Amino acid sequence: MVKKVCDFWSDDAVSNLVEIKDVRFSRGSRMIFNGLNFSIPRGKITAILGPSGTGKTTLVKLITGQIRPDDGVILFEGRAVCPCSRQRLYEMRRQIGVLFQSGALLTNLDVFENVAFPLRQHTKLPERLIRQIVLMKLQSVGLRGAWEHMPSELSGGMARRVALARALVMDPKLIIYDEPFAGLDPISMGVIVQLIRETNDALGITSIVVTHDVAQTEILADQSVLLSEGVVVAAGTPAELCNDRSELVQQFMRGKSDGPVPFHFPGPGYVEHLRALASS
Amino acid sequence: MSGLVREGWLGFREFVGTFGAFQMFFFRLLPYLPKALLRPRLIIEQIYSIGVLSLVLIMFGGFFVGMVLALQSYSTLVEFGSADSLGAFAAEALVRELGPVVASLLFAGRACSAVASEVGLMRATEQISALELMAVDPIEHIIVPRFIAGVISVPLLAAIFSTIGMLGAYLVGVHLLGVDSGAFWSNIQVRVDMYEDVASGILKSFVFGVSASFMAVFEGYYAAPTAAGVSQAATRTVVIGSVWILLIDFILTGFMLPGV
Ligand SMILES: Nc1ncnc2c1ncn2[C@@H]1O[C@H](COP(=O)(O)OP(=O)(O)OP(=O)(O)O)[C@@H](O)[C@H]1O
Ligand SMILES: [Mg+2]
Repeated sequence: MVKKVCDFWSDDAVSNLVEIKDVRFSRGSRMIFNGLNFSIPRGKITAILGPSGTGKTTLVKLITGQIRPDDGVILFEGRAVCPCSRQRLYEMRRQIGVLFQSGALLTNLDVFENVAFPLRQHTKLPERLIRQIVLMKLQSVGLRGAWEHMPSELSGGMARRVALARALVMDPKLIIYDEPFAGLDPISMGVIVQLIRETNDALGITSIVVTHDVAQTEILADQSVLLSEGVVVAAGTPAELCNDRSELVQQFMRGKSDGPVPFHFPGPGYVEHLRALASS
Repeated sequence: MSGLVREGWLGFREFVGTFGAFQMFFFRLLPYLPKALLRPRLIIEQIYSIGVLSLVLIMFGGFFVGMVLALQSYSTLVEFGSADSLGAFAAEALVRELGPVVASLLFAGRACSAVASEVGLMRATEQISALELMAVDPIEHIIVPRFIAGVISVPLLAAIFSTIGMLGAYLVGVHLLGVDSGAFWSNIQVRVDMYEDVASGILKSFVFGVSASFMAVFEGYYAAPTAAGVSQAATRTVVIGSVWILLIDFILTGFMLPGV
């Protein structure tokens, strides 16, 4: 069974870098994805939108093979992503850059070495060239001056920009940004939006931007996918999403608290809960 | 009563399960060892941070243990008129037993707890996931260098502990209690045997090094990614690591003692 899934081959691999087919995933008894279907076209920026806690970060983990779907298959370049063989998984991950929601810099290395780390691990480039590449990437996120700082000396937003430089340093085929705009000031935000756009176009990279920042998505994305309650509720260009009639899509795009998407995590009714606590 | 039996059964199952997990992790590490030894840069860095930085503590410990040993044994030896063999007594005790055991216990408290919490914190702050996503194997890059560095460090530290301990015994025995200096050293030379004493001490400290370092990387790698999980990993490393050292010491001593 496992073998069959791993040898899955798709014919759409030419146009789609990543395809997600019928993916189901649950954490304990909580269903996170219930038959997820969509694909990420090559060379485009795809935004994945969704309320907090719908499983966007979980989806990133599924695409990068950190966790395995309960059912269904995820294809990267037409080949199934699954932890079948470590070697194959690592071979695939070398072509993917990931910006973590938390940055996840290596705390025992300084900024320069953090960005240089993938290069040192996977290439045998001469030191001079490594220095040039790293300084160039740091320059593009505006932190070349901080190259000697340790990660603990950076602010949250700065650390995420360094992590962004690290994700870009290997010139991957696919870059996944998990919440790239969280904690950035308006100026850096503009710069990062432009950086994502430029790297995507200049290097022919495919990008996935996971976010709940609707305004930035409208500027940035070629295609948006809106997730909610474990399924894709809407997909299309940002303009199409904005004009979507569905109440749920409108609620999310306009940021209204009242609507089909619950603001509250599922649980017992408020009054019931208070009563139960009072009587216990 | 049945509740007690059930608790006992669950505890036993957990113990067996943990033991199985130890084994699996150990066999996961083994294939990496030859490759890691060929790229020694990371190991050397770790030997510095866990071995060299434990040095002061080990020397301090060795010095005092040696001095106490001389003070304690002197009164008994004098009673039997064999105060001259104070040096040999202290040296044998240090080389065979106290050096390996006390140095490893100090090492577990100083270095292994640090390794466990460092690795646990790397897990909690997603650094280990980040390595995996950069296609860098965290076992190869984080775990194995720390493990090997520990295994190399402990026998060396134990040897230093014993040496400094003998110096402490010399100071107390010869300069404080008035044992003859020539007799002190010549007795050591006669009584301490290369194979029976020194080699068995080295073997012991090697085994202790393996178990203490293994506990540290195991607990760190599987730490729960929370503040409590990290501190628990450090505590368990020291507690379980020390118990292991004492247990293994008993078994090894039983096998090694001539005439037992
Ligand atoms: N390790 C875990 N164990 C159990 N449940 C988890 C775990 N990680 C996440 N979850 C659950 O999975 C759901 C999705 O989490 P996820 O982090 O993917 O959300 P998200 O869409 O990225 O949210 P945000 O926008 O706030 O980052 C959450 O409801 C959370 O409760
Ligand atoms: Mg998230």
